Amino acid sequence: MPGLAPADSAGGGPDSVNGALVPYLPDSHVSAIYPLRHGLNPPISRVSVSWGRGNSLRVSVFRQPDSDGGEVGGKVVELTLGKSRDGEISDTQWRKIAYGSVSPFALLQSRKNSAASLSRMQLSPSPYHLEWWEYVMEYSKDISALLGDPKSVGAPLIEDPNEVFIKKSEEPSSLKAAWELMEMFYVDKLSQAWLPERLVDWLADYDSLISVDLPTVHSKLVEFQSKIVTLQVIEDDPRYWDLISSALAVGWLEIVVKLLRLHGSYRLDQLGRRETENGLVEAVAVLISKMPRMRPAIDAGKHGECFKAKPDFVKAWERWRAQITKLDSSAFWVQCDNRQTREGLKNVLQIMLGNVDVLCSATCHWMELYISHFLYIRPFTAGLESMYSLAQNCIRLKHTSNPHKLMRLMIGILGENNEVVLSECSRGFGTWMVAHAIELLTAGSNEADFLVHEERENLGGISLEELHRLVYAQLLSSHLLTWQIAPIYLTSCMRQGMGMLEILLLKQPVQENQVLLKNLEICRLYELDGVSSRLMEISGMYHWKHGRKGCAVFWLQQAQDEVRLSKIASQLFESVGKSISGESFKQWEGLIELLGSEGQPAGGLDFLHKYRDFKKCLQHADSKKDADAARQAVESLMSLMRNASTPQRFWLPILYDAVKLLSWDKRPLINVSQTNLLLNKLQELSLARLRPDFVEPELPTHALNHVRYSLATNLGRAILEES
Amino acid sequence: MAVIGIPQTQIHRLSQSKYVDSIRWLPSVSPLQQSAIVAFFDTDADSPSLEVHSLDQESKTLDLISSWVPPSRISSLKCTQAFAVASTISGSLHVFSATEAQDPSSAFRSVVAADGKGFHVGRIAGVDLMDGGSNECVSVGEDGRVNLVRVLDGSYRKVFDGNGLVSYTAVKWASPTEFVTGGCGFGLQWWDLRRPGSAVAQFKGNLEKGRTSGIIHSIDVHPSRKHTCLAGGSAGTVFAWDLRYQHQPIILSGTSNDTAAQPLSESEVWEVQYDSYTKSSMNNFSSSKLLPAMFCSEDGILGVIDQGEEPTELLAEPCAINSFDIDRQNPSEVICSLEWESIAIVSRP
Repeated sequence: MPGLAPADSAGGGPDSVNGALVPYLPDSHVSAIYPLRHGLNPPISRVSVSWGRGNSLRVSVFRQPDSDGGEVGGKVVELTLGKSRDGEISDTQWRKIAYGSVSPFALLQSRKNSAASLSRMQLSPSPYHLEWWEYVMEYSKDISALLGDPKSVGAPLIEDPNEVFIKKSEEPSSLKAAWELMEMFYVDKLSQAWLPERLVDWLADYDSLISVDLPTVHSKLVEFQSKIVTLQVIEDDPRYWDLISSALAVGWLEIVVKLLRLHGSYRLDQLGRRETENGLVEAVAVLISKMPRMRPAIDAGKHGECFKAKPDFVKAWERWRAQITKLDSSAFWVQCDNRQTREGLKNVLQIMLGNVDVLCSATCHWMELYISHFLYIRPFTAGLESMYSLAQNCIRLKHTSNPHKLMRLMIGILGENNEVVLSECSRGFGTWMVAHAIELLTAGSNEADFLVHEERENLGGISLEELHRLVYAQLLSSHLLTWQIAPIYLTSCMRQGMGMLEILLLKQPVQENQVLLKNLEICRLYELDGVSSRLMEISGMYHWKHGRKGCAVFWLQQAQDEVRLSKIASQLFESVGKSISGESFKQWEGLIELLGSEGQPAGGLDFLHKYRDFKKCLQHADSKKDADAARQAVESLMSLMRNASTPQRFWLPILYDAVKLLSWDKRPLINVSQTNLLLNKLQELSLARLRPDFVEPELPTHALNHVRYSLATNLGRAILEES
Repeated sequence: MAVIGIPQTQIHRLSQSKYVDSIRWLPSVSPLQQSAIVAFFDTDADSPSLEVHSLDQESKTLDLISSWVPPSRISSLKCTQAFAVASTISGSLHVFSATEAQDPSSAFRSVVAADGKGFHVGRIAGVDLMDGGSNECVSVGEDGRVNLVRVLDGSYRKVFDGNGLVSYTAVKWASPTEFVTGGCGFGLQWWDLRRPGSAVAQFKGNLEKGRTSGIIHSIDVHPSRKHTCLAGGSAGTVFAWDLRYQHQPIILSGTSNDTAAQPLSESEVWEVQYDSYTKSSMNNFSSSKLLPAMFCSEDGILGVIDQGEEPTELLAEPCAINSFDIDRQNPSEVICSLEWESIAIVSRP
């Protein structure tokens, strides 16, 4: 398993304990028990454990050797430890996100590089050039689209006037919520002016997520929705008014208006009796739907009047507040005899007028209270510092002991603490998030840019950005299907990236040609010729061991592995002079063919080819008593013995093979001069035997004498024949 | 020339949650139904499956009809009018009835299977079956064996055993008695069952001096031109080998010194097929010109090569395209398997 070296070193030093950048959170100290299904009968004699890919263990179980005859001696089982990373997102979805984020990430990196080279050349960007944050925005939108449906997945909607209906489509993901939060604060420069309204929209999308145990406005709405059908007189139920206030406080105007129109006074049979009451309800509903909002546009079906410029908005806001005050002090309230309606509506007006106490009691979570402040008390952006102190106030009023990870991230962002934001990203949302969100964090802030790009001693000289990319790449490498993506991230790491890439590539299995070829393709793209030869060598050896000699020689030749090829060739020499027949001769012959197909990588192959021809003719001549084949064999023999490349140590074995030709029945095949040449060679050999470094060939002891006798006999026969 | 502009090629990408090892169209049983057979591998559960899906024409979504669990991962998959044949990495071969596979009421199972030590050792690299052929399925393996399996009863006979001295990676029938195999070093072998014992013609893969060699991944032979075979392999290589001119392969694509045409791909060409949909642009249609060919590659290209023309690109993906198939009844439709656990359907205008 590839080690998490940089991460370990970060957590290893005593000074890095409080600044742990990739925190290790032990989930529990209870030991886990994993059943192992190896299916072997006892007794088990040995168990060996090693790391497999990712978080799986490879357990090899061995039985007692020869304890039971016919049974398998052992088995290797893979055991996956732990569960998937995040319960919210399945492994399959994580892989989809990983695949999808490759292209946006690579595009942004290449733009970054070209921007850097432009600035190095001191060229001013062309007027058509986008600002950097706009590129990051494009990246952010691409990534965001991966994380879930584009807009308002779980947003409360009312479809039927008789039924509040909250769409029960798939749950919004907190990963997307976090991503949008970061995009909103760090990248999207256009929306800075209406940040409060963006937060209102954000909460409308993700209110269901922000609290685990305590109720939220969303959860109250969902609960009420299930009861609504059973209610006869809806305005008599205190929960009805309660919900109207809550939904209004967080700005879900369309829900409030729809709820108000469920009021009993709208019913035809009651309209006559409750005219004033109905007029008040409708007046409030109209006021709500006319609420001025400081934003460029609003989705269809949502209420409010949009203003882009601050002065226009302020004017409209004052006018709206004046209308509310006027209605509040109207004489019609006295004529309204339904107490619940009167009190409920008055409460609604107080919310619209920004009464802090009413807002506080109408909301559940601090985030909801916070949003209501933006809607009804301070509708303008006033800098992060004041937003932060407001958030602190809201938290004080609505304290939660166990804040959700999204809220922790929010506090980090508002507190302008980039380290906290980074560590919350990594702790709450995992390595993918932190590796990709760094781009958002640094989009417009020099401070953050310095933080993530500073080279750190305690990380072995790499920056935070590189660290997080390396960690993410490790995660990718640990899976069979995602390891091919890891190089994209590794090559964006200046210091350690290429080294780790080489390790990653060398660790990939080479058993299957297809996987090997995919691996080699990555080597080609990043010009890692050394790694690619190494992989081909490993693959060649693997195939050799498994008897696929053709494949093996092919890969060794591709790798230009002269050492192994010549080793194979020298193994072939060992067969020279031995009587090889049938299948093994075919193997031997085939190998010579394989080795010879490309140039002359191994020395002496020329000799082997000639020897192969000689041997083949000899076999042919021997089996069929064919004179033509025998004559060809003689030709091969002579060319072998004349050739200077024929090693001396093979002379005797070759001559010994040739005894059959020398003692050919019908007539001598080798003429006088040829025989003389052979005799000379034999003479030379006898002299060589006297030298101390002479190696005696493995032949029968009488071989030399036998050859000498045959040669002499043949010489005699040849002289007779020629004379 | 084709009309430029509208209507355009439509591409549908269908995300799966499993790795797609191979994909083929099945012959339609009714004009309204279009189905595909897909070899999946679930990495989470470490389990392979062979599934038949019907394709919804409107929404372009896949609906599972039937599924079968093979003994190991599928290494090669081919379909004819009557049969689908699949081989595995553990050396077994399975034949299915193409019509039964698309019938939800009948059990999807292999009608015939061959395996065992005498059959193949290890991965079967390629299989092929021929329409109107001898009803024999040819299989080749990295172990160097060439076997013929009778579709009727599953009995098999050995045509050749290379004993590991050769490794075959692809095979294609050329006629009821002839087939072509491919292997390492861009080697191609032409076999004729009437002349058993060894290949009748061999191409040693000397495409060009000085270039690195590679592996053949896919072979196709057009029924109207049985003497020519089309092969695709490493380094973006697509070439044709004509039995009548055995020493002059025609290189259609690849990293050659010829700078006239920039190759679409320089990586592994995983599959090649003749493309009957693309009409050859030459007016003076001569039999010496090669028919247009489609290929897919490791660097994510699905393209069409027409000899003497600039190659056209149908699809450019950020990940590898590992296999594709052209629907024979409706050749404008191409289905591809992508590396990132997804399937793409290309509908040409």
